[in-house]
Amino acid sequence: MTRTAFGRPLTPWLLIVPSLALALFIIGYPLYNIVFQSVHEVSRFGLIRDFCGLDNFRKVFADPIFIASLWRTLWWTLGVVGGTVLVSVPVALILHQDFYGRGVARTIVMLPWSVSLTMTAIVWRWAFNDEYGMVNVTLQRLGVIHAPIHWLATSNWAFPVEILVGILVSVPFTVTIFLGGLSSVPGDIYEAARIDGASAWQQFRKLTLPLLRPFINMAIVLNVIYVFNSFPIIWVMTQGGPSNSTHILVTYLYERGFRLGKPGEAAAVSLVMLAMLMGFTALYLRIQPKEGEGT
Amino acid sequence: MQVRLTQRLTRAAVALTVMGLAGFSAQAETVRVTVAFYSDQTEPYFKKMAEAFEKANPGNTIKIEMVNWDTLQQKLQTDISGGTNADLAIIGTRWLLDFVKDDMAEPLDSYMDPAFKGRFIGTFLAPGQISGKTFGLPIAASARALYYNKETLTKAGFANGPKTWDDVVAASKKIKASGGYGFGLQGKEIETDVYWYYSLWTNGGDVVGKDGKAAFASPAGIKAATLYKSMIDQGLTQPGVTNYSREDVQNLFKQGRVSMVISAPFLAKQIKKEAPTLKYGIAPVPMGTTNATYAVTDSMVMFKNSKAKKTAWKFLDFLFTKEPRVAFTSGEGFLPTTKEEATAPQFADPDTKAFVALLPTARFAPTITGWEDTAKAVSDAMQAVYLGKAKPAEALKAAAREADKALGK
Repeated sequence: MTRTAFGRPLTPWLLIVPSLALALFIIGYPLYNIVFQSVHEVSRFGLIRDFCGLDNFRKVFADPIFIASLWRTLWWTLGVVGGTVLVSVPVALILHQDFYGRGVARTIVMLPWSVSLTMTAIVWRWAFNDEYGMVNVTLQRLGVIHAPIHWLATSNWAFPVEILVGILVSVPFTVTIFLGGLSSVPGDIYEAARIDGASAWQQFRKLTLPLLRPFINMAIVLNVIYVFNSFPIIWVMTQGGPSNSTHILVTYLYERGFRLGKPGEAAAVSLVMLAMLMGFTALYLRIQPKEGEGT
Repeated sequence: MQVRLTQRLTRAAVALTVMGLAGFSAQAETVRVTVAFYSDQTEPYFKKMAEAFEKANPGNTIKIEMVNWDTLQQKLQTDISGGTNADLAIIGTRWLLDFVKDDMAEPLDSYMDPAFKGRFIGTFLAPGQISGKTFGLPIAASARALYYNKETLTKAGFANGPKTWDDVVAASKKIKASGGYGFGLQGKEIETDVYWYYSLWTNGGDVVGKDGKAAFASPAGIKAATLYKSMIDQGLTQPGVTNYSREDVQNLFKQGRVSMVISAPFLAKQIKKEAPTLKYGIAPVPMGTTNATYAVTDSMVMFKNSKAKKTAWKFLDFLFTKEPRVAFTSGEGFLPTTKEEATAPQFADPDTKAFVALLPTARFAPTITGWEDTAKAVSDAMQAVYLGKAKPAEALKAAAREADKALGK
């Protein structure tokens, strides 16, 4: 058998070469292309002009809107993912109970998942319209407010509203993960706990939560990646405005690339985003096993 | 280098495919046309034109590719960098400069004889010309005017619409007293900047000066911004202006909730369809110290790398004859760009006439680099002013600094 310099067999490597090559090509080519664009001046219509070194990065980092968007992206991700997990755990626990109409309830919770993000965002944009939006009309009829609130006109309202919509659309996926997790928890341990006199809260803290933890971890990682890159909600509802006050990195990137005609700078932003996500994932992978040892 | 090679390979592949398709007769050519979606009339129109052309020129094929305006730039960008662009395309005239800079647009002068050039209304041909050469033909043109609600404005004492900004303010105060919103002010998304230029221009200001630098942070600019801001503060506009895109403001007008709005000819078409009972009038953009309006053209360009230039030109020639022009312009609610079509009875209605009458005072978006950056900087500044986050003078100064970074570069 052929062996490598380290004395390991070569055959396994040869066997995975085809899929490795395919993966490298599929991931590598776009990555190469983006790196290539990010160090060149690129015209509005995608023609490569001159090599410009790190100019694109320098320009982007010198832009206060970029820095503001960077921070806002962190808040956005934290808000949406945190909110989603907080909402999803009780929802999953309820849906895990056996009650009449559970099928219908599960379907309703899953429903937002089946609608495209863009459509959801458009519907919410209408719902939050000042004059004829369902939210203002409902609140006014209920007598909660007396004059319409200008939801999307200022960032004070618009950004939290967008985070709420973000949570709403992320809940179905997260609940699905948790339901899968809950169904793998054996029922008899609860019985044992009850006999020992554990309260419902104690059961949740000491049994459900630890057993659900790997699923929560998975939900956090996947959601962070999705939410960090999530474009439609903010773009449809405010396009990053008013006055750039709701931009996150991905909407900023789109505006650079396709509105202002600077694909080179957009490529630079996307590399920064890639680095951030890779950093997060690496950090997370390091933290995770330690937690495992602790319990 | 790798990219170029890939592009070349793609191009070769496309060329082979095209040759394969057209293989049988050497004369036959396929012309691909990227067309922007203006309304649900656009696609049937271009399909019909393609059929008529194919009938008159047997063997040739016209392929229409419809794209939404929102994604047009993205589609062109992808196509061009992949080397798979069409032969003809509709583009926003403001992108033309980038096309010419990248050497992608074919200069059309060698195809045009004086008679062809003579077909156009001069004002509309000019924006498609860069340093003396014609690169784009005006396929669509529009201008802006003030739409006013006849009922409420008559009650307010301006039966023929307001003439000046003072009139607008006075009328809005009366309309507000009877429970409506006076002036519809756009504060969100595309053309937020333009909505402010109306006031800037009519107060004697300019967006970009003769030196190619931002000129809007002028006394006229401050006056224009202060005017809008004071109208917001007095409740003479709809509340929460930064939540209103162009369509949103137009909807309020159609519903009769705002009484004045500045928009393009197509709003008249929409009103007839969606709010047929609304009585509206069309007046020039209100005056400050001078008259002005905004005019926009979209251009049809031919790509330099096209393999079917002759047939593509023939198709262009056909599109810019009278019948096809009349059908397109009246179907979409644009303004005529050729002299012959302007004489057609379809454009003798008072609405179109009102718009055409404004053309002598029309300003076009200049073909300079950095126009989009300027638009963005101005839109951001206006939103800050409307929200009360910045004073007009400082917001405009900051926007001018931002715009100057990109202008002319």
